Amino acid sequence: MNNLLRMVAVLLVLLMGVTASQAQSVRPPGNAVNLDDGIEPGPPNTLGDLSDSDFWRNYRGGDPNDPQQIIGPRPDGVVLTTTGQHWRALRENYIRKYAGWAPLIVIGILAVFYVLIGPMRIKSGRSGKTLSRFNLTQRVSHWFMAAVFILLGISGLIILLGRPLIAPFLGKEVNSIMTSAAMQGHNLFGPLFIVALVWMFIKFVRGNFFQWVDLKWIFKLGGFFGGHVSSHEFNFGEKSWFWMVTIVGTVISVTGVLLLFPWLVEDLRILQLSTILHGLGAVGLISVLFGHIYVGTIGMEGSLDSMLKGEVDEHWAKEHHDLWYEKVTGKSASETAKEEEPS
Amino acid sequence: MTANSEIAVEKFLEHTDAEAASFFEACVHCGECAEACQFYLSTGDPKYTPTYKLRPMERAYKRDKAPFSGLKKALGLAPSPVTEEELREWEPLVYDSCNMCARCTLVCPMGIDIAGTIRKMREGYAAAGFVPEGLQRSAEFVKKTGSPMGVTAKALKAQIKHQEDAVGIKIEIDKKGADYMAIFSSMEIMGYPEVLGAYAKLFKRAGLTWTISSVAYEATNVGVQIGSAPMAKEILQRVVDAAEALEVKHVISPECGHAYGAIRWAGPNMMGRQFKFEVVHIIELLDQLRREGKIPVGKKDTRRMTLHDPCQIIRRGGLLKEPRSLLNDSCANFTEMKGAGITNFCCGGGGGVSANPRAEELKTAAFSRKVEQLNGVQDLEAVVVPCGNCRAVFEDGLDEYDLDLEIIGLSELVAETLAEEDETGA
Amino acid sequence: MSFLEFVEGPLFLVASAIFLLGVVWRVGGIILIGRKKDISPPKGSAAMGFLKGNLRHFIPRGIFAKRTALHLIAGYGFHLALLVLVLFAAPHIAFIQDRLVNVNLPEMPRWGFILTAEISFAGLIMLWVRRISDPVMRLISDWDDHIGSWLTFLVMLTGCLALQESHGFLRAQHMLVVDVWLIYFPFSRLMHAFTFFLSRGNSGATYGRKGINL
Repeated sequence: MNNLLRMVAVLLVLLMGVTASQAQSVRPPGNAVNLDDGIEPGPPNTLGDLSDSDFWRNYRGGDPNDPQQIIGPRPDGVVLTTTGQHWRALRENYIRKYAGWAPLIVIGILAVFYVLIGPMRIKSGRSGKTLSRFNLTQRVSHWFMAAVFILLGISGLIILLGRPLIAPFLGKEVNSIMTSAAMQGHNLFGPLFIVALVWMFIKFVRGNFFQWVDLKWIFKLGGFFGGHVSSHEFNFGEKSWFWMVTIVGTVISVTGVLLLFPWLVEDLRILQLSTILHGLGAVGLISVLFGHIYVGTIGMEGSLDSMLKGEVDEHWAKEHHDLWYEKVTGKSASETAKEEEPS
Repeated sequence: MTANSEIAVEKFLEHTDAEAASFFEACVHCGECAEACQFYLSTGDPKYTPTYKLRPMERAYKRDKAPFSGLKKALGLAPSPVTEEELREWEPLVYDSCNMCARCTLVCPMGIDIAGTIRKMREGYAAAGFVPEGLQRSAEFVKKTGSPMGVTAKALKAQIKHQEDAVGIKIEIDKKGADYMAIFSSMEIMGYPEVLGAYAKLFKRAGLTWTISSVAYEATNVGVQIGSAPMAKEILQRVVDAAEALEVKHVISPECGHAYGAIRWAGPNMMGRQFKFEVVHIIELLDQLRREGKIPVGKKDTRRMTLHDPCQIIRRGGLLKEPRSLLNDSCANFTEMKGAGITNFCCGGGGGVSANPRAEELKTAAFSRKVEQLNGVQDLEAVVVPCGNCRAVFEDGLDEYDLDLEIIGLSELVAETLAEEDETGA
Repeated sequence: MSFLEFVEGPLFLVASAIFLLGVVWRVGGIILIGRKKDISPPKGSAAMGFLKGNLRHFIPRGIFAKRTALHLIAGYGFHLALLVLVLFAAPHIAFIQDRLVNVNLPEMPRWGFILTAEISFAGLIMLWVRRISDPVMRLISDWDDHIGSWLTFLVMLTGCLALQESHGFLRAQHMLVVDVWLIYFPFSRLMHAFTFFLSRGNSGATYGRKGINL
């Protein structure tokens, strides 16, 4: 899997790399408005001697009786929505500035953890015997989600962070090309995310409801710093991730649909809120995803088998999901562990 | 590369004709075939994926015979040569875990005949001497006695005598000019000799003249199972010579799967000429006689019965309707098992697997699919198995899985339910 | 000559030529290997069997369908949608009319294009993730399978990235991958698009000869 991820990364870099050298071929979108055509500066002093502040206040306040409101008012009387300014401020000053840091911080924490504490090994070694954990449909739905998520994640980050991260270094033209491409890709793959989300929810919801034993998992910090933690088919960490994906994923899906089809709502503020929620949720998911990838690959020996082969080693099951092990095998996890100890 | 593996590869290439090549070229590694293979289904082991079993032969073809193979070799992109180690590793896959049942062809989106290609692949294995001991032993028996179980003419005559006494009809041996010459599988002669009596009864009623040769009575062709064309030809030669010497018009292929394919379809090609007689399968013949009204049905068997479809007779032999129409006539309570007909599971012992003691465990595992099918028929009392080899596998299998069912041959059932002479007023 | 002109012009022509000649060479090569004439007395027509085998294998058999449902949906979804995309996407039609032949293919509306692309992508992704997450598929897959899947994916992806038709570079990128795909095609397992009729037909002919009605 590592190789695959590496391959994906290399391919992307290659594609984007060529971009830089070819930036000269930029031309405006077919439907773009050319400011040089037809729009001329208006006549001076059209407002006469009226106070500018009053004028703007009226516009913002939305008084349909004000004869100065020459632009057709919306049903609620609002002529000029200034929430756009707040939205813009929020997006520019906070989200664009800090969003990129969240995944990096998570990666940093993981790196430190890996170096200091190291990966979790199967303590008793591999038994060679396996238990069936995920069936083929579960595996395919998981990887389908993973693939769509990666495509959306990369294109989304380009859209969000292209201006601060790409434009200053590679130039505005490159950013323009990449953003155009990313937007098309993002819009196209978006609906697939909804399909993936629903499919994965159906395939994984069983066993993902919280149980009392999960409390112990929290107190023992998931066993990441030593100690044995009991858990059923899924532990607290997995369950949290499942519900986070489900809930945040739903938010992203709904807001995404609104952004794709903006005519579905009348109030512009809903769309502004949508972009904020969409971005925040996505950045949150992307950040936590690195934790998920870590535990699923280099962080925990034997985890990846469950998603590549559908089978896990019996010792892995005993150590990480003892209650599940007991349920599927009908054997006691602690007793069989003792039995095998002398050998 | 050792001399043996070179021989194997040479044979692989020789037997990769345009047909096999089209199969190797079309496979997209989709893995569907695993879902059709009872060895995969009953073990869950990916190595039993049918297309994977062809890998060494496919590699040899892609390295040395495929279009662009020269170009790819020059660029260092051709697959590496097939090694003896690899061939040995594949030996159990080629012999122990393929019944040549061809169920995989049905599910294959490319319609690849993996069974037929395994047959070709075995040519390489047989020529190089990479053959399981059990099959090798059968082959040696054949060389000595003409029969894989070592059934001698003396033993045959003793069985014929018994049956003559049992049904009270004389069975003529080596009768020149008879219409039909019957051949049998060793399994039938030794294990289920009632079939001789059944033939006698049915053919007498139908008014056919028939005979059994004392030199060529064995239908089983171990050569085909091992994959040795020279041996297969030698075995077949006996039957052809005997039949042509006796000047019979037809040779009856028995209730035995691979034997039918060996003589009916592969036979003339192996001999390089058409026969002076016609090959007819016993089921085909009985169905024809039934339709002509020559063997009318009398009292039906009332037991709840189902039919097992021997792969080589049904799926690869094309006799799909005949056994069913015979059964519907003879049995009042005939129920199909789930997946019956073209898509039915093999017994697990076909393709030489039952003659290969090393494959015993796999064979039993594979039979679990059949057990599932049988258990799916409510109140089942008997199963009709029109193949001597399947029948032996069924006996072992039912025993292993503690199933209490009677196993009946189709000819016997038809003979048993034959109308009494006076019933039809004849 | 700009990069776009190069990948759309000379490179595309060379790639197409390699594609066509390669396909003909390979299919011809397979057929020319030849086979012995079957002299066993036939019970049915081999030619009809060849045809029937080709048609029959389009339709999945019920008894296997449950176990292979995912694969069937993804496989059919991907292949059919891709075919529709190649032939009926508006930019493709424009390209065909511009550079190849002046045929009048019906144009898909934009929503139809998007929907088809979604189906196609979903199918291809499912097929590929199945390849990496199933022990059977992992065992039998080789580099050719992965490269073929990825190249096709990149062709589709770059095509969709260029959807806005705003940047020549994005169009050139798509064309470049298409050219690479065309050159890779005849040497790879992508050839199954042409060899399938031989394998289905050959099995079908054998069955047909034996009078087997599948």
